[in-house]
Amino acid sequence: MKKILIIEDEQIVAKELCELLNSSGYESIVLENFQEAKKEIFNISPDLVLLDINIPYKNGELLLQELRRESSVPVIMVTSRNNETDEVLSMSYGADDYITKPYNPNILLLRIGAVLKRTGISLEVQKYKELEIYLQKGIIKRGEKEVNLTKNEMIILNYLLAHQNKIVTRDELMTDLWNNDEYINDNALTVNISRLRSKLKEVGYQDAIETRKKMGYILL
Amino acid sequence: MKFSLFLKDKFYFIFTFLGIYFLIISMFFAFHIDFSLILATSLLLFFFVILTLFIEYFKKRNFYTNLLSNIDALDQAYLVLETIEKPEFYDGKILYQALYEINKSMNEFTKNLEYQVEDFKEYIEMWIHEVKIPLSALILISNNHKDKFDKKMSVQLKRLEDYVDQVLYYARSENAEKDYLIKEIRLSKVIKNVGLKNMDELLENKIDYIVDHATTTNVSVLTDSKWLEFILGQIINNSIKYKKEIEDSYIKIQAFDEKNQTTLIIEDNGIGIKESDLKQVFDKTFTGENGRIKGKSTGMGLFISKNMCEKLGHKIEIESVENQYTRIYITFAKNNYYEVLK
Repeated sequence: MKKILIIEDEQIVAKELCELLNSSGYESIVLENFQEAKKEIFNISPDLVLLDINIPYKNGELLLQELRRESSVPVIMVTSRNNETDEVLSMSYGADDYITKPYNPNILLLRIGAVLKRTGISLEVQKYKELEIYLQKGIIKRGEKEVNLTKNEMIILNYLLAHQNKIVTRDELMTDLWNNDEYINDNALTVNISRLRSKLKEVGYQDAIETRKKMGYILL
Repeated sequence: MKFSLFLKDKFYFIFTFLGIYFLIISMFFAFHIDFSLILATSLLLFFFVILTLFIEYFKKRNFYTNLLSNIDALDQAYLVLETIEKPEFYDGKILYQALYEINKSMNEFTKNLEYQVEDFKEYIEMWIHEVKIPLSALILISNNHKDKFDKKMSVQLKRLEDYVDQVLYYARSENAEKDYLIKEIRLSKVIKNVGLKNMDELLENKIDYIVDHATTTNVSVLTDSKWLEFILGQIINNSIKYKKEIEDSYIKIQAFDEKNQTTLIIEDNGIGIKESDLKQVFDKTFTGENGRIKGKSTGMGLFISKNMCEKLGHKIEIESVENQYTRIYITFAKNNYYEVLK
């Protein structure tokens, strides 16, 4: 499980963020000792840091600068300072991404996922049971049987796979699709899911995606 | 400065002079003084008086016409004192000194106002950062406890966020101070961010967000991405607000990349804008016919957008046919300077 450190001095925001991350399959820790922030980061050694700019003792940009001298841990700046200058500055100090408050929780999760994927090893071939999924080529393969997926179907399958055995809401799927420049509407999402289902059926996984009423879908 | 009016102003002097002149002449006659001497004295007197009057007139005329024409020619009339020379005649000096004092106190007064505006803007910016913290908390809470808060809550939170942003960008765009950073931005990224931000409302209102990937992918423009996102957000908010009650509502985004400029076009098939209203849609607090029909219109969105475009050096134009479509064109100039250097 990936460990995420939250550096945020607003307790209520930190607490809710923690809850959001935990329910999305991360282990999150809220930094308590801001005075020794850098030392704490090394002690906790997280996989990713969510760093606010307005924090006590040392401003987030300074902390990032100091951190970058010794560590390349992925850092996402999270701030209510919504201007280009701060963003450019943070990125030049070595931040991996920059998100402004208030943020859409789904988008925050996607950006965290993207940074973790970018910094980790991403597999060209994903596996689901006996099924091989070739993301770039848009192909799923089981034994000799090969089926082509459209870009939208691949995005949906990939998202479901990344959240296997968990309920995925339509909202999350939609956000991920739009985040990949596929601006589809509700009907199209329904159509895409039923097409994906029939393609999975072709390779022998007819009941892989289940619908949970009023909640979403789940890949079993 | 008219000579006749100048003479009218000198009425008492001329009147007294003539009075005294006739007194002297009649005294000369009473004493039977030689006529040629009377004539010579008269000529001399008149010569000196007319000469003094002319000298005074030309001195003043030079100064005042200079002053008035400079006031006309200047954009900021209050700077006129810097363009004229200090006069040599007495009442001119008084006027000059008075103008100088007035100017100084006016400068102090406007400087004060400037500080006040600056202070207020700083306070607004700070307040907005503050207010975004509880807003973030509320959004997270409503997301984490979907069982207790339904979608209505997040819709209202989104509205709140939009209004807060509008104040922020109003403060930024009205201020003389440079508050933006222009760099090369990919159009597709801005379109995506705006789309994601408004996704819920677009889906809710069944409006298709159609992006012409062929013309927008790999196209970059010189702008401030935050500002451009706000401007597009305002345009899309309007499209949502003024949609037609039909099945296939859409917002279509495409771009035209030309040699010297790039044009971004945002088109919707909403209720459109009346031709008589079209010229005024960028005016402050103008709501027009559509505002009257739909209510809840502040008339600020497009005004702020236009202001921001002007600051960034973009051109924003609108085209619409009532009941058919509205198209907004944003034109970005290309910086050919760098092309030349290559």
